[in-house]
Amino acid sequence: MSELIEQEKVSSDSQADLRKPPGPWKIAARKFVRNPYAMVSVFVLLFFIVVSFSAPYLTPYDPAKIDFSSTNLPAFSEGHLLGTDELGRDILTRILYSGRISLTIGFSVALASVIIGTVVGAISGYFGGWIDTVLMRFVDVMYSLPTLFLNILVLAIFGNEFIYMILILSFTSWMGVARLVRGNFLQLREMQYVEAARAIGVPNRSIIFNHLLRNSIHPIIVNATLMVGSAILSESALSYLGLGIQAPQTSWGLMLSNAQEFMLINKWLAVYPGVCILLVVLAVNFIGDGLQQALNPRGKKHPVRRLNEWRKKFSKSAA
Amino acid sequence: MGEYIIRRIIQALVTLFLVTVFTFALIHLAPGGPTQVMIAPGISPEAFEVQKRNLGLDDPIHIQYFRWIGNLLQGDLGTTFKNNIPISEILWPTVGNTFVLMAIAWIVTLIIALPWGIYNSTRVYGLSDQTAAFISYLGFAMPTFWFGIILQQIFAMNLRWLPLSDMWTYGKEGNISDLVMHLILPVTVLSLGFLASYVKYARASMLEVLDQDYIRTARAKGVKERRVVFRHALRNALIPIVTILGLDLPMLVSGAVLTEKVFNWPGMGRLFVDMAVAREYSALMAIVIVTSVFVILGNMLADILYAVVDPRVQLGRKGGGSK
Amino acid sequence: MAEKVLEIRGLTAGFVSDKGFLKAADNISLELKRGETLCVVGESGSGKSVTSMAIMRLIEYSGGIIADGNIVFQGEELTTKSQEEMGKIRGNKIAMIFQDPMSALNPVFTIGDQIAESLMIHQGLSKQEAMQEAIKLLGHVGIPAPEIRVKQYPHELSGGMCQRVVIAIALACKPDLLIADEPTTALDVTVQAQILELLRNLQAEFGMSILLITHDMGVASEMADRIAVMYAGTIVEEGTVFDIFDHPSHPYTQGLLNSIPGYETARGTELYTIKGTIPRLGELPSGCRFHPRCPHATEKCKLLEPGAIQLSDTHRTACWRYNEEAEVMNR
Repeated sequence: MSELIEQEKVSSDSQADLRKPPGPWKIAARKFVRNPYAMVSVFVLLFFIVVSFSAPYLTPYDPAKIDFSSTNLPAFSEGHLLGTDELGRDILTRILYSGRISLTIGFSVALASVIIGTVVGAISGYFGGWIDTVLMRFVDVMYSLPTLFLNILVLAIFGNEFIYMILILSFTSWMGVARLVRGNFLQLREMQYVEAARAIGVPNRSIIFNHLLRNSIHPIIVNATLMVGSAILSESALSYLGLGIQAPQTSWGLMLSNAQEFMLINKWLAVYPGVCILLVVLAVNFIGDGLQQALNPRGKKHPVRRLNEWRKKFSKSAA
Repeated sequence: MGEYIIRRIIQALVTLFLVTVFTFALIHLAPGGPTQVMIAPGISPEAFEVQKRNLGLDDPIHIQYFRWIGNLLQGDLGTTFKNNIPISEILWPTVGNTFVLMAIAWIVTLIIALPWGIYNSTRVYGLSDQTAAFISYLGFAMPTFWFGIILQQIFAMNLRWLPLSDMWTYGKEGNISDLVMHLILPVTVLSLGFLASYVKYARASMLEVLDQDYIRTARAKGVKERRVVFRHALRNALIPIVTILGLDLPMLVSGAVLTEKVFNWPGMGRLFVDMAVAREYSALMAIVIVTSVFVILGNMLADILYAVVDPRVQLGRKGGGSK
Repeated sequence: MAEKVLEIRGLTAGFVSDKGFLKAADNISLELKRGETLCVVGESGSGKSVTSMAIMRLIEYSGGIIADGNIVFQGEELTTKSQEEMGKIRGNKIAMIFQDPMSALNPVFTIGDQIAESLMIHQGLSKQEAMQEAIKLLGHVGIPAPEIRVKQYPHELSGGMCQRVVIAIALACKPDLLIADEPTTALDVTVQAQILELLRNLQAEFGMSILLITHDMGVASEMADRIAVMYAGTIVEEGTVFDIFDHPSHPYTQGLLNSIPGYETARGTELYTIKGTIPRLGELPSGCRFHPRCPHATEKCKLLEPGAIQLSDTHRTACWRYNEEAEVMNR
């Protein structure tokens, strides 16, 4: 009987040896999934993405079509769930199409500024010397110009097309990533394993991409996520000011500027687009935070308050 | 100290120079360039050339640049395209208005945020701390101009407690209590925007300082905890906060664009937006330069302030005494 | 017979974590007489710092707690005092100096301010009187031109000078007990010797007791009247300096002594190391905590944790090898 048990033990042991320990991405994924705020936010964001991009299938209306026969209808009117605005356009439809624009801009800007920032930061950090000085002076100049002013200025000069919006927002938000990446590179450059790699004869480019980027990628991901939110906020602000998205396209910011004009007529006009912005940006921020906590190797498992209670229970001096 | 200030001033001037070049380049990169706006369309090509020469637009680019800089240094900011109004006449009054709004908003923020942040650092994860964290999440996600619009609707339209917009009621310019009434809503909106950040900074700075060895020494000396926090810790925690304050100093002039638009406040921000919509490039350039001057000045002041507050900053000399 | 200044009985202190209560100091018992120097020796993680912080009741500011035991200082029980009451004792009757002198001083206050503060709090001196006293103290600890130094900031002084200042602050109110936690570890070797000499002189002058914590057996040999060796939170051996150096009984003590290059071995022989590493607090071995690294471990060592065994009037050890020759002291 005991021999049988021993045999079982041996085989299960060898099976255990064959399974690899979970890699860092898997650990991070597990941690992320356990974060309630992050998971809810993922669903919220997905909801917005799906609903906005399937807008043509969800509503029969054209967001720009003016219909003077049904202006300023309140919410829950026949055929118009959220009512219509002063030009008879269905509000729900406009919200959905605006979502498409805002989300597209948000993700594009995040992607673009991360790319720009990473390239600049990497070059600056890796080569150092006068390249570094010149690039960092450039960053200083960019920081000296108030972002909103610069955005407004460029949009005024070059025009309000969609693509300019994305470009200008990217050009004013890459600095953070650049500084981050440069800092990482400066640190890692000194570290031992770069010297070791060089000693084995690994060529320069490989060193950069393989070793260093892999280490910088965590904060870059978190930064990129948060940037989606700030890009959406910037776009809404610019559209509100009349310098961003223009009719016939629609954006939440643009809807808010309308809403302010017609405040007396329909109080709720301002609420819907604002709430949408709030929810999307909040969701993106929670996801960013969740990613940061998940990618961080250290972390608290128990809430501090419980630890404090235990502490009091065990303590003789209970001061 | 003197050497340090001189160095910083030189740095500031270089940055300012780069900013002017950048701005100038930007304007002249516009599709069609300034000629598009400054010269009426549809005139004959000859008249076009004459106009161009009159406006100095056909001179080589660096001549135009230096002419512009020369004018700026003499205080001539140029004139608007429409109606030829000297820009300085419309710009300088607005600077003061923006300054009033931002200064008061800032002071209100600091009065609330700093003590709150310090308190939270002594009772980490307590109710007050969690409330602050919650507010900061909201603050980062909420578009401030939307918040302003909602406040307008509630307090100005529905409840009629406060005026809807502008800086003064027509006919009451100069009346302080009128000004205060008009300040309440925009200051609230602005303040809430910075509040969360400053609470966070104060808390983080205090926490970092409270972790230091010299705090342990102070306790080991028998110093009462209250004194440890308010004298030993706070003095050190304020240093990074002062730095951040300094970095934010430029916001005094440039931070209120959206709020000014929402509440129709006659400040530099609103002016900038109006000029942008009207494609008044000269005015835009002038405002950008003026703002940048303030930004750069502010940064410089911040650095100097930092050197004053922290005795460790040796201002260029290496520290350390003899053994 | 000199009176007992400090008596610690069964002190258990540590930290509450997700894994439960981690006993950084487990059932520690120590005694210190007037004018005596007791060295607590151990590697990092042995619990020596936690013990000293517990005496000062400073451990609570780092999230630690005292779970059990008594700390009696000059007849008074310290574990049940409030922090306010402790505030009157700290810096006054018991003083403590720490490892890194440069970070132990507040960078935004002058040296004079920091010394004077003690005097103003505990002795009620005025600012001027305290400053005068501070200048005298700086001279006393061997700082040249004290009138100038007193107005300087910590970053203007070297490491050795900072430690002298720290000592001046500690001794300002002439404490009866000085706890020194690795006071020379962060300093150059030559400066180390100077600081130790300074401490010896001041001790002789003020008649104070010193609890000196160190990982360096060399420092212990120079300073100690008695030595307590700590490992993984417990005291494994305690005795006079001669007991420990001439008749080291616990294998860990022997290992520590053998690890000093050139101590017993001839030049050119391989350096001795104790095999294995210090166990983490949540993962202590069963039985004797040292048994996985001990060259003499037996089955009994794996199962039962040894209590203190008295080898002589002054010498006790916690090792089963001495079971037959002596009585086991009650826990």
